[in-house]
Amino acid sequence: MKGAILKIENSIEKTIIEFLKKGLDKKLFDVVLIPVKVPAGDSYAWVLVQDKALLEDANPLPPVMLVQGAKALSSITRRGKSNKKIAAIMRPCEIRASIELSKLQQIDLENICLISIDCPGALPLKDYLEDTKKGIDTFKKVIKEWGNESVRPICQMCDKSVGLSIQSDLHIGIFGAKNNEIYLIPSSQKGKSILEEIGIPAEESMDNWEKKTKEFVETRKKNRKKIQSTLSEKVMGLDNLLETFSNCINCHNCQSVCPICYCRQCYFESEKMKLSSDDYLIRAESKGILRFLPDTLLFHLGRMTHMSLSCVGCGACEDACPMSIKVAQIFSIVGDRSQKVFNYIPGKSIEESLPLKVYEEDEFHDVEKP
Amino acid sequence: MKDDFEPTIIGFLCRWCSYAGADLAGTSRLQYPPSMLPIRVMCSSRVDPVFIITAFLRGADAVLVAGCHPGDCHYIEGNYYTRRRFACLRKIFETLGMESDRIRLSWISASEGPRFAQVVTDYTDKIKKLGPNPAKKEIFL
Repeated sequence: MKGAILKIENSIEKTIIEFLKKGLDKKLFDVVLIPVKVPAGDSYAWVLVQDKALLEDANPLPPVMLVQGAKALSSITRRGKSNKKIAAIMRPCEIRASIELSKLQQIDLENICLISIDCPGALPLKDYLEDTKKGIDTFKKVIKEWGNESVRPICQMCDKSVGLSIQSDLHIGIFGAKNNEIYLIPSSQKGKSILEEIGIPAEESMDNWEKKTKEFVETRKKNRKKIQSTLSEKVMGLDNLLETFSNCINCHNCQSVCPICYCRQCYFESEKMKLSSDDYLIRAESKGILRFLPDTLLFHLGRMTHMSLSCVGCGACEDACPMSIKVAQIFSIVGDRSQKVFNYIPGKSIEESLPLKVYEEDEFHDVEKP
Repeated sequence: MKDDFEPTIIGFLCRWCSYAGADLAGTSRLQYPPSMLPIRVMCSSRVDPVFIITAFLRGADAVLVAGCHPGDCHYIEGNYYTRRRFACLRKIFETLGMESDRIRLSWISASEGPRFAQVVTDYTDKIKKLGPNPAKKEIFL
């Protein structure tokens, strides 16, 4: 594995921004899609930046994940390729969601250069908003420590946050970035030519970084298993499931922030789900009792069947849940298991087809009952 | 007590094969338990897993999805997609500790009247042993 080395000036963020400025100068891309500080100063929004001066306020790795990056990218290219070359700097989960969305025809990657970055995780939105100053300080620690437990639980169990498990055009390695260096590793022709044009061809060996990230991923995998098995015990079975989701207030926030839930009209918000009064009364009568609004569990189970195969585990749903239900963690269990059925890893490769879009004639005979 | 229990099975039958198979079972005067409520669909791949979960959570004791044998789909490949979707749904049921025996996928062709009767009889017996769907009693669904 070959990459280029950049010396850190001031901070990691500034070094990356300087690199992006060079790309803009050389017209390697026309605009940069990057989180930029909002006027209030303590939050971030995705902004398409062409003006180099504005890049000063940008942060390639903000402490929180607000809008999922793939959603931003999808709104730009949903109706066809972008007519400007865009460099999009995103967290690995956002890159993976973008790849899933491109398979779902919601993103056109033709003029996009995906730049991923080793991600230490993001802080829970609620913790961060309570005290943003403290949050920013905590996040500084998080970047230094890798494996810090102030990040969201879904980030603590993420095994695809560092290293080359993602298919971007260019990866920025900041994991274990000692000696004041960060690494630029191209994974496609697009990424390779960008580095060459800027004058830092990928010639340095990245073996050391790769080895370290692999070790880190292994510990994360163990952590993932541990968290999942404890949680799994608590949600297994109809009674436990109902208990877990009984707090749900039916706001559907989890669905509306989910990058994979792209449908123009969700089945669960359609007229189909607005049943007649008679229907409710009949159900109440036959059961003797009925909770309102009903079908909460149906919504969550239904969403699992619709999107768990493409779930990238970004945790946007959990951040958005006003009732603090561990949606993302539960979905990660279901996602991992159902993805394994098809040996499919969402966002891993653009060439792999979505599991439900292809088939083989001779397979899955275990589910057909004679 | 379980002997008195008559299960309700929701059957999603494909219009070209399994529904015709059910018809043949009827016209051939074959005996089978009256436990299945058939719902005719144009293809087994029309059945969104959400339909199955809806039936299950609303108290159906079991859900049967039946279609043409692989290779015989009227729409050439519909049932291959059904099978994949079903494999995914089954895994979700298993992962969440829900009784995956309460959902079943079977291939029944238009000429297999006796087979249709057999499938319904066998499945009804199996569900009788399993007992009623616990979701029936859950208030907070």
